[in-house]
Amino acid sequence: MAIRTRLSLLAVAAAVLLAGSASVHAEEPAQGDALVVGSIGDASRLLPILATDSASGDIVGLLFNGLLKYDAQLRIVGDLAESWKVDDGGLTLTFTLRPNLRWHDGVPLTADDVKFTYEKLIDPAVRTPFSSSYELVQSVEVLDARTIRIRYREPFAPALESWMMGLIPKHLLEREDLNTTAFLRRPVGCGPFRFVRWKTGELIELVANPDYFEHRPRINRYLYRIIPDEATMFLELLTSGIDLSGLTPLQYQRQTDTSLMRRAYRKFRYPSFGFTYLGYNLHDARFQDVRVRQGINAAINKQAIVDGVLFGLGSVATGPYSKESWAYNPSVAAGAYDRARAKALLAEAGWVDHDGDGWLDRDGQPFRFTLLTNQGNEVRRQVCELVQEQLKAVGIDVTIRIIEWATFVHEFIDKRRFEAVLLGWSLSRDPDLYDLFHSSKTKEGEYNFVGYANPDVDALLERGRRTFDQAERQRIYQEVHRRLADDQPYTFLYVADALPIVSSRFRNVSATPIGIGYNLIDWYVPLAEQRYRRMSP
Amino acid sequence: MSAYLARRLLALAPVLLWITLISFGIIHLAPGKPTDAAGAFNPKVSLEARQRMEQLYGLDQPLPVQYGRWLGRLGRLDFGRSFVDDRPVLEKIAERLPVTLTINVLSLALVLGLAVPLGVLAAVRPGSAFDRLTTVGVFIGYSMPSFWLALLCMAYFGVTLRWLPVSGLHSLEYESLPRLAQGLDAAWHLLLPVGITAFVSVAGLSRYMRSSMVDVLRQDYIRTARAKGLPEPRILFHHGLRNGLLPLITILGLSLPDLIGGSVIAETIFSIPGMGRLFYEAVMARDYPVIMALVTIGAVLTMLGNVLADVAYAYADPRIRVGKAL
Repeated sequence: MAIRTRLSLLAVAAAVLLAGSASVHAEEPAQGDALVVGSIGDASRLLPILATDSASGDIVGLLFNGLLKYDAQLRIVGDLAESWKVDDGGLTLTFTLRPNLRWHDGVPLTADDVKFTYEKLIDPAVRTPFSSSYELVQSVEVLDARTIRIRYREPFAPALESWMMGLIPKHLLEREDLNTTAFLRRPVGCGPFRFVRWKTGELIELVANPDYFEHRPRINRYLYRIIPDEATMFLELLTSGIDLSGLTPLQYQRQTDTSLMRRAYRKFRYPSFGFTYLGYNLHDARFQDVRVRQGINAAINKQAIVDGVLFGLGSVATGPYSKESWAYNPSVAAGAYDRARAKALLAEAGWVDHDGDGWLDRDGQPFRFTLLTNQGNEVRRQVCELVQEQLKAVGIDVTIRIIEWATFVHEFIDKRRFEAVLLGWSLSRDPDLYDLFHSSKTKEGEYNFVGYANPDVDALLERGRRTFDQAERQRIYQEVHRRLADDQPYTFLYVADALPIVSSRFRNVSATPIGIGYNLIDWYVPLAEQRYRRMSP
Repeated sequence: MSAYLARRLLALAPVLLWITLISFGIIHLAPGKPTDAAGAFNPKVSLEARQRMEQLYGLDQPLPVQYGRWLGRLGRLDFGRSFVDDRPVLEKIAERLPVTLTINVLSLALVLGLAVPLGVLAAVRPGSAFDRLTTVGVFIGYSMPSFWLALLCMAYFGVTLRWLPVSGLHSLEYESLPRLAQGLDAAWHLLLPVGITAFVSVAGLSRYMRSSMVDVLRQDYIRTARAKGLPEPRILFHHGLRNGLLPLITILGLSLPDLIGGSVIAETIFSIPGMGRLFYEAVMARDYPVIMALVTIGAVLTMLGNVLADVAYAYADPRIRVGKAL
């Protein structure tokens, strides 16, 4: 999760070397001002390997860098690593650090810090949930101050993404208990911003790092305001109390459509990494028949869901990947909405309205199931209602049940007490879906809870993890995409857009496949428009 | 008196034990675990990693063992460490307490300052225009959802008029302001939260005050005082109010735990990091040590408030002074 959130909208490890992006503009980027970001939640631990919530991830992403990162186009590029090599078919990774890297306290950052970070990640006494990505590592070897070699027991392509984990300073943490160290509340990193203070539940303040290896961020301060109420957050936007926040589709389309808001802010939109789906319990005899699942897929008008619930701010999903991903298979059709085809497929499976009561039946049993979703997500509730309505039209009787999250996970999902669920996944940028669809991941507490088992997909997912060749991986995951669309273990509904809003005084902001935050260090405010002048750099 | 006090206090211990046992049971019965936040439904976190985390927090032990450990630590006044950020629970509470205490003390002062005169004035002529007007006003205040009122005030005073800040405790440039301006800045930010918190309580308290004063003003000694020809203010405030205030003592005693327990709704809406939010967030994250600490402190204060009210009552009213009866 840290890796995912680190790259999310507000979280930016560092800028891409967009050569000369600043010079495109006639004016010289000015130094100064502060960016005030609104967040619903407070951070908990400011250490990359312990940062599990999204607020901690946002802040940690600005304070710490990893060896690698994703660029604006979702390609893997070097971050602290100047270069890296994959040898022996993926069994050996060798990273070379940039020269003259320093921690915020001036101490040089070396390969020892990489090794130290790894050791802490796999240390059983450290309360990190991220250890599983490093289980296949056989050894980590420091070759010299700038070079480190990592050997794997078997090739593991998602390993590259795992080295985006922020590095932690050995010289400050060597003698500390990482679970309780004071460092968690006043971290020293290596990223574009330095830590200043943290007033619990109120504010986290960062200041530009003048010695950052790319260049000093143009904005002097980054202020992270904790505003737990959404209505308050919106009122703060109206009074310019915050410069950046996420919007709901309703806010994006309607409530910010005033002349004042159009002048003061700019809105952005890009597909989020994740999808909303209808998942079937494949141990249920009715859903074991692929024709039933395909029939339901054809009966659901996904575009109507995107238009009705998201106000058009999203796109219809054909599989688990968004259109921006290289794993997306453009030849997979959206499983076009076709009520007649849906009825035909269901009839083929034996579901016909024999008694003329308007509901399909088979062996005297009407087609009736309960659709579960979690409480507190208004969008999902509305999607459930649309699905209910659309399935009613083909003669399937759906009952909606909304359940508190913890109960939902532990009593219904884990114990397989469901017929169908409406949920969403938000995923990292690597297309590996082993945990979701591999047939070995069906234990209680694991994520193939629908019970999907297809030996071909298993083989593809295993191969995808072992293959480093990009073209080959693309073929593999595009094939996974096609198989999942054919098999319909989930009916993929839509990919929602992320909807950030940013004060219009900030320049150089643009939406890319990875979001808007990737070039935060290049954002600037022209001198005449700067607002927070009292704050010294 | 001191023997009585000692006995009362001693009797509290078993009650407290029961309270902690029951609360401990209830929060562990609720579905969900503290490790859910870090791991549940995140494919990057494997089942094994989650189980290891549960072990590290001692959550794999049977409940009686967990309770025993907790009680053992409590005996040494150690509330343990939060599961969310591994900080000592007492440190987390100490960080939140000043804000909540400030708001609650200010709003209590405001409530007393308004509710007592309102109640007295309404009681002087029950049924008069002023009485009916305050009755209507008070009931509107009493039935008004405070979060809604808060949002309306924020939208009007904060957004439309721009007189007051929308939320938060300080301006962003607070640190770089001169000392005097810092004080003004804080007061400016506290105006709405304190006002809204007080507004709702004034309603209830002024009703108590009114009904108690109405009773008192019907007593023979008030008539006697009038017959003696004492001036009306002296009758009201010297003879009447002293007796009319008695029921307030009980209410104030019982509100002792409220002083440290902030309002979740007000603190969330105004983005104030206080005790109410700490408790709410702890419950949401199943942060058992924090929940248990706050429940225990709340229980102790409630019980102390009860004892205190009884003692204060005896002090204020010689008729029920316990010393004699014992």
